[in-house]
Amino acid sequence: MAAPNTILPGFSASLWMQTSSTPTALSTANLSVWTAQVATIVGTVANGTGAAGIALNVEAVPAYGQDDAVASFGVAGSRQSDKIPTQAAPTSLTITAPWNPSDAALLLIRGDAYSGTVERTYAIASVSGSTTIAYAFNARASEFKIDAQPGAEAKCVFTLHPRGNQYGWSNT
Amino acid sequence: MTLDEAVAMLTSAQADLDLIARGLPVDAAEVADMMTIADEDSAEMVALKCLAKYNPTPQATINNANDTDPEQQ
Repeated sequence: MAAPNTILPGFSASLWMQTSSTPTALSTANLSVWTAQVATIVGTVANGTGAAGIALNVEAVPAYGQDDAVASFGVAGSRQSDKIPTQAAPTSLTITAPWNPSDAALLLIRGDAYSGTVERTYAIASVSGSTTIAYAFNARASEFKIDAQPGAEAKCVFTLHPRGNQYGWSNT
Repeated sequence: MTLDEAVAMLTSAQADLDLIARGLPVDAAEVADMMTIADEDSAEMVALKCLAKYNPTPQATINNANDTDPEQQ
């Protein structure tokens, strides 16, 4: 149960999602459990089993985690003001992927975006050799659009909005 | 509420576990005992850690109190 003990390059991260058009998202507690839970979503190339998940082939995994949120206070006579962290939203992930109209993962995302209510578990797996650390979260998809400019390959762009408090870290 | 019921509620929830655990009074000693046998990589352990945060064992409470007691320093 050891997490990677090295500075990870950006390209070591990959994005995985539950299969099925009507998925049952993991419970919040299970988002922090690698064995038989998150591992089933992450594929074998990232040290998972991949039994219930597929890779989302994205150009780059965007920044993920928590947005900033602070309240600022000023006190008369005090040299410095104060900033207190307040309730923060999870970071939304705007993702660009090469547009293949037959890609199973993109078809699921497209369906989720049109529905707006499908909740799915995603996992971002960062790998170093045989060790992996995963950030799993439940999210809904939106803003699915195709960018088919003639000067480059067609791309699709969509946004994943993670549900608040429904995330977990786990590792091999 | 029994510990088993509390753990079952937490492991199946799709919500903020801290928020739920705050409202689940359970036997602190029982939580501590269960934590010694639960699998570290399991949903049960995640739930027990949440419960332990809001139901500390008396010994942990005493230790924390001593840590902040100016008489001890």
